[in-house]
Amino acid sequence: MHMKRAVPVVVGAALITLPWWARDMYQLHLAQLIGAYWVLIAGLNLVVGFSGQLSVGHVGLLAIGAYAFAIITGTQGLHPAVGVACAGGIGALCGLLLGLPSLRLPGFYFAMATLAFALIVSEIILAQGALTGGGVGLPVPGFPAPFDTPQGTYWLILIVGGLITWLTWNVARFMWGRGLIAIRDSVVTAEAVGIPVFRAKLTVFVFSGLTAGVAGALFGSIQSYVTPDTFIFELGLFFFVCIVIGGRGSIVGPFIGTAVLTALPELVAPLAKLGNFFYGLLLLVVVLVVPEGIGRLIEVLLERIRPRKIGSTAIEPDLERLAAAIRRGRA
Amino acid sequence: MSSLQARDVTKSFGGLTALSSVSLELRPGEVHGLIGPNGSGKTTLLNLFSGYYRPDAGTVVLDAEDLSGAPVQRRASVGVARTFQKPRLLGTLSVLENAMLGGWRHVDSGFVGTALSSPKVRAEERELRERAQELLHGVGLGPVLARRANLLEHAEQRFLEIARGLAAQPRFMLLDEPAGGLTGAEIGHLGAIIQVMRDCGIGVLLVEHHTDFVFRTCDCVTTLDLGRVIKRGTPQEVRADPEVIRVYLGA
Repeated sequence: MHMKRAVPVVVGAALITLPWWARDMYQLHLAQLIGAYWVLIAGLNLVVGFSGQLSVGHVGLLAIGAYAFAIITGTQGLHPAVGVACAGGIGALCGLLLGLPSLRLPGFYFAMATLAFALIVSEIILAQGALTGGGVGLPVPGFPAPFDTPQGTYWLILIVGGLITWLTWNVARFMWGRGLIAIRDSVVTAEAVGIPVFRAKLTVFVFSGLTAGVAGALFGSIQSYVTPDTFIFELGLFFFVCIVIGGRGSIVGPFIGTAVLTALPELVAPLAKLGNFFYGLLLLVVVLVVPEGIGRLIEVLLERIRPRKIGSTAIEPDLERLAAAIRRGRA
Repeated sequence: MSSLQARDVTKSFGGLTALSSVSLELRPGEVHGLIGPNGSGKTTLLNLFSGYYRPDAGTVVLDAEDLSGAPVQRRASVGVARTFQKPRLLGTLSVLENAMLGGWRHVDSGFVGTALSSPKVRAEERELRERAQELLHGVGLGPVLARRANLLEHAEQRFLEIARGLAAQPRFMLLDEPAGGLTGAEIGHLGAIIQVMRDCGIGVLLVEHHTDFVFRTCDCVTTLDLGRVIKRGTPQEVRADPEVIRVYLGA
């Protein structure tokens, strides 16, 4: 029990104090980037890791959020808070428009629909030059004080990321989490217990659109300039891979996946040269060796440390208790 | 008196008539057995009750509500639960969480309330957890509450399916071959659990090949053959019926 309390406190303290112990501005920038990615991935995790809908196109929603923020805050000159809110709202709306026709499709076709969406967004951004700057791109403004320094921006991202992690954690640990996992692992069971499958899938997809839009605003702002090339399709695949490597049905796993996959190639020079090869190799190793991902690996290690007794005992119903439990519900 | 009824239901697949004009009434506090040879239409009838098929003709009715065209989910919300021939559990979740999943229909909290962990969500969660725990202790799974469901033995999976169904607080329970693969002692426990459900006023439909178990457990037995009802009555009447003996029980 001590471990369970201590770990989040230590990790939280480390994250809050990061600007003081990060070795240089580049590491701080990486931490900002991980945070912005995580805002998107945390929402996407409910779609991919929990309800099992394989979206590879969230980079399109990220781009929409980034451009919405750049246009509203930069071109139109509105307050950045309004820009972030609009980026989230537009992201959610686009999630709804994408989800409505595509979430009824079976897995493979759904993945193709999200892929097509990402490609279309990229083309629209190029075509609407008057609004988006076309291939030249747009400058993205930063945030006002006290978030105008690199440290301040980092803390802003930390606050938003923490809030969204808390929201998804609540979804995961209560009834909705079980319902989404039922949709992922057995639609027949989900229907039999009364879960409105399509509506539930659409709800979390819209939520993931919202977080992707907000992530786009944060991401655009820390990049300070966006072009269509910022949002290459590989980035969408990268988000997806972070979740698969992290483990389905886990929140800690995909977070570790995001942090490791973002930071490692940047911090370890030889890995940077490998580029996508590194991601590919890591994905292959995880799928072959620990198909349930990092999250499950942690669980298994914890179980090793404190093994639970797995004894086989014959089933002995307690009929009076059963009758009381059934009657209690009916009273 | 409320009841779950199939009224003159007909269902065919391609040119094959799986059920032709079959009626069956399931009453609260009654265990109704459904037997017959393979291909006689038992599973088709169960799937009509549980909403996976729609009847070509006839209706499925609960009280005054016509459920024939209603989606599967509607069954859960009006109080019809079921178990599956091959247990369908969520392997990565614990036994307790699998049972709690059955209580979906009693959770009003929407997505936003859940994400914000509103007091109502937490109260519902607590209530559901307690109910599921009591049910699991009741069916004999108390010692394995925290175990991942993919580590359960066969009998434990079957009993967990029943607990999940009961977590919905159903008025009617459809059991699809619940005795399949159980040992004699486990079948005894299953029978006792079904008696408890009946005594608590739940109507139980028991689709089962294990005829001794059916005759021992049921108040009323319907026998199907080639998509038609050939005999309905008390276990004694059905067991002694020459037609049932000829097509199903054997001499």
